Amino acid sequence: MTSYIARRLLIGVFLLLFMSVIFFALTRLTPGPPFTVGENPRAHQELIDKRIHALGLDKPWYEQYPAYLNALLHGSLGDSYQYKKPVSTLLVERVPNSVILLGTSLLVSLGIAIPLGIFAATRQYSKVDMATSVVSYVGISVPSFVLGIFLLIFGAVYIRKWTGGAFAFPLFGMHRGDDQSFLDLVVHMVLPVTSLAILSIAGFSRFMRSSMLEVLHQDYIRTARAKGLSGRVVNYKHALRNAILPIITLVALQIPQLVSGAIITEGIFSWPGMGLLAFQATVDRDYPVILGVVMLVAVLTVFFNLLADLSYAVVDPRIRY
Amino acid sequence: MAEKETPAPRSLLAGDSFTKAVAAEQELRLAHADQDLVTTEIPEGGELGFWKLALLRFLRHRVATVSLAILATIAVLAIFVPILQGNLYRDQDYRNPYGAPFLFHSRQLALPAGITITVPWADHLLGTDDLGRDELARLIRGGRVSLEVGLLAMLGYIIIGGSLGAIAGYYGGFLDNLLMRFTDVIIAMPFILVVVAVTAALGGVTLQTLIMVIAFTGWYEIGRLMRAQFLFLRESEFVQAARALGASDFRIIFRHILPNSLAPIIVSATLGVSGIILLEAALGFLGYSIPYPEPSWGNMLQGFEDKLLRDQTYLVFFPSIALVVTALCINLVGDGIRDALDPRQR
Repeated sequence: MTSYIARRLLIGVFLLLFMSVIFFALTRLTPGPPFTVGENPRAHQELIDKRIHALGLDKPWYEQYPAYLNALLHGSLGDSYQYKKPVSTLLVERVPNSVILLGTSLLVSLGIAIPLGIFAATRQYSKVDMATSVVSYVGISVPSFVLGIFLLIFGAVYIRKWTGGAFAFPLFGMHRGDDQSFLDLVVHMVLPVTSLAILSIAGFSRFMRSSMLEVLHQDYIRTARAKGLSGRVVNYKHALRNAILPIITLVALQIPQLVSGAIITEGIFSWPGMGLLAFQATVDRDYPVILGVVMLVAVLTVFFNLLADLSYAVVDPRIRY
Repeated sequence: MAEKETPAPRSLLAGDSFTKAVAAEQELRLAHADQDLVTTEIPEGGELGFWKLALLRFLRHRVATVSLAILATIAVLAIFVPILQGNLYRDQDYRNPYGAPFLFHSRQLALPAGITITVPWADHLLGTDDLGRDELARLIRGGRVSLEVGLLAMLGYIIIGGSLGAIAGYYGGFLDNLLMRFTDVIIAMPFILVVVAVTAALGGVTLQTLIMVIAFTGWYEIGRLMRAQFLFLRESEFVQAARALGASDFRIIFRHILPNSLAPIIVSATLGVSGIILLEAALGFLGYSIPYPEPSWGNMLQGFEDKLLRDQTYLVFFPSIALVVTALCINLVGDGIRDALDPRQR
């Protein structure tokens, strides 16, 4: 087990190196200098050239890369061109916001989807099952930005109309002005969390249902029923333990993808998380920030992949490494 | 023994009466053909081929069949109507921007026989957008983009993911490890950022580059599925038997494993198309799909805040509905195919 983890971690380090090369090349091969977009149009060309030269951006990418790698190994992700701050500071500012948003929506969606999936599977072809299927089909087929737009229309426009202008969910951001209270945060979170959660509920509950059904059709479940165990014990003690295994893996594998998936939701609701940061940085060609976010996502991916594989062994003792 | 050597004339004789008997029975059957049809049932397994049986099972799945019909309608509209409409999708009706939908007025139509009739008529059935372009024409043309991207990118997934997954699963070992770690790299890439970066690098998107970028970054699901199938089937008894008979790798892969691994790939590919269509729409929404004036369902939703502020909600509604209906139908068809190919799942 220890040697397996060590080997995987070693592979992970090489993977990260490989990714840093690919993304470094990808950003540097982009034609056009980074200091024309969003920069003062009256800035002198010499000044721009001087800055580009100072940052070493006039050299080919393979000559720039060793310096980046060197800084990376010393724990520095470089300075943002746009914010004139270290990238690590920016990430420390933004990542917790994303964690709050994504974590809440993940918990909410799992808390609803898992019982829903189990309920639908144990009552296959019942009305509840059909209704769950229909809802999850629609949920899977609605793109996140369409859902976001409609939540905006509903939460901001219609609720204001119905309450006579007294109340509407805020359209953007995390806090209203300097109000740092928890209640204010919750009010701001309702729409984006709903938008993220509805989509994952659809996927997770469908997955949970099919996983549970597959287990319920196995021989050992029939044996358990034949022994005369009650349906409750069979469903929740014998079946659930095996049915929940794929969900754990799915969640672990999806966490890194949630980050990139949140780019759109964070964009629509102007949530100051790292998805929005990365998107802005890409549009503005803020190379160090793009690389910082991408490397963070890569680290998360490697880590959660390993975690998913290890969780197999914990939940299912037959699997050994 | 001698008797047994000369059965030919007797059997010929018997054959003669036999053919008569068959003809008589045929006649009898034809006479009762309607009754035969009523009692005929779909034969269970073995008598029909796997694919034919699957087709029958699919057709019995009502929701999936209806979805397929809707999809076919959308596809036919999206392929043929833009040809008839020409430039209608980019022609601006300058006097009539933000035209409301479903505005009917009566119009005299002259029929060939000299009769004129009055019919309800709408110049722009679904209204016009901010530049006075016909929303319906744009919607239909946008559907063409969506379907084209969805199908061609999926073809790319199958080619890239299918071959890499098959190689990794069949040969295993070092090659498998290498390809799977490469897959990890692809998965770890935040897709939208890659598209934005590549778009900037190429100085704009065309349909071809968009399809290529999606295909190169999204094939891993098909790849992993293919690998799992090959890993599993490689050890199965019929493959070992083929190997024992001296079949080449090429033959084992294409004649024995591939046909048996197709079912889950087909299901995943069908469901994947809806994913790609939604992805393209998301990119269009962010302004990184094909550029104006070419419409796509995604870029028609771009700048939605403006449309909402002007109370032009229908401009947000129509593309959204088109997207959701298409994706929903594809998902339902995919599910129908899953049930048809793997009846154990039911």
